[in-house]
Amino acid sequence: MIDRMDLFRTVAEQRTDEIVVMTMTATLQWPLVSESDFDFDFLAFGMGHAADFGLGLAIARPERKTIVWKGDGGMLMSLGSLVTLARYAPENLIVFLLENRSYEMVGGQELPPGADFAELAHAAGFEGGGATGKGKVARIDSLEAFRDALPRILTEAGPHFIVLPVTNREKLPPVNHSDHAGRIQTLRKALGVS
Amino acid sequence: MSENGASAHKTVAKLHELGFTHVLMIPDSESRYLYDALENDPKIDLLTPCREGESVAIAAGLWTGGQKPLLVIQNTGLMEAGDSLRGCGAGPKVPLRMMVGWRGYGGAMAGKLPLDSAYTFTEPLLGAWKIPTWRLMSDDDLGTLELMDQTASETSYPAAVITGYAFQP
Repeated sequence: MIDRMDLFRTVAEQRTDEIVVMTMTATLQWPLVSESDFDFDFLAFGMGHAADFGLGLAIARPERKTIVWKGDGGMLMSLGSLVTLARYAPENLIVFLLENRSYEMVGGQELPPGADFAELAHAAGFEGGGATGKGKVARIDSLEAFRDALPRILTEAGPHFIVLPVTNREKLPPVNHSDHAGRIQTLRKALGVS
Repeated sequence: MSENGASAHKTVAKLHELGFTHVLMIPDSESRYLYDALENDPKIDLLTPCREGESVAIAAGLWTGGQKPLLVIQNTGLMEAGDSLRGCGAGPKVPLRMMVGWRGYGGAMAGKLPLDSAYTFTEPLLGAWKIPTWRLMSDDDLGTLELMDQTASETSYPAAVITGYAFQP
């Protein structure tokens, strides 16, 4: 298991100009380690659709990597999107699936225990798939292994779907509903499209 | 003015004129010929996600990244995609352009009973979201696409045309 804040710090240290998309619980902690106009933290987004939004961004902006922090509960809410990602995801999309096996935001209720997200991604055709035929699926179980793999993930042609078993030892900040329309406009301005 | 469905090819020509870059649709019987007209279109990329909620979120991402997507979505799919439309469109004020297939309209107009519940709830649902709508029922109505497009742009909010009949080849 990897502590989620350690994971976030590791990515924030190595991240350069990538778009970073997240919803739900990740929106409470990522802003503690990152302040960028290319961050899109939106707690009350369409439930389960962070990776779909990231897919649209990645297709629209092929010159720039798009990273998505996606929760496993959110993945279950839009499981069919794995098939869509496996068909259309471009090489610049990286999906980090934060696997804590619970609905953390609403009290930590357990997820269906049998779901194997890496296997689901494989079964959807993600490995060797995506728009490039170079889709890659991996499960990384330790912070050390993640630190070693991250430079390759950030530079190698994808798309990537990486399952990361996480825990959280730190107290979550209070829920903060950001200015949703403002977040989108800030990102569009940073991307030079408005 | 007769209501018999718009020509798929004239509709695609209008989409070209308006500068759409992507169409997201899940195939349904009423939009079959529109799908055929778009499948190998050189100017518009056709994406077919698995469910309408996905389509809405992907379209929001495309727009945020500077593209101009159109959602082609049947009313039943619109109902499934409610939270996505809230969270990726109406809430963050993303000007989603939508073409909503009005399943049940033709039967209702022909007096067939029972009414399809998808017919009954379509306009009230769009109204509840305060999404402005125009009816695209024949080639004579193709100008509604431009009105829908302009309104979405000016309000930075979703707007829709609703189609009551199948597209014609």
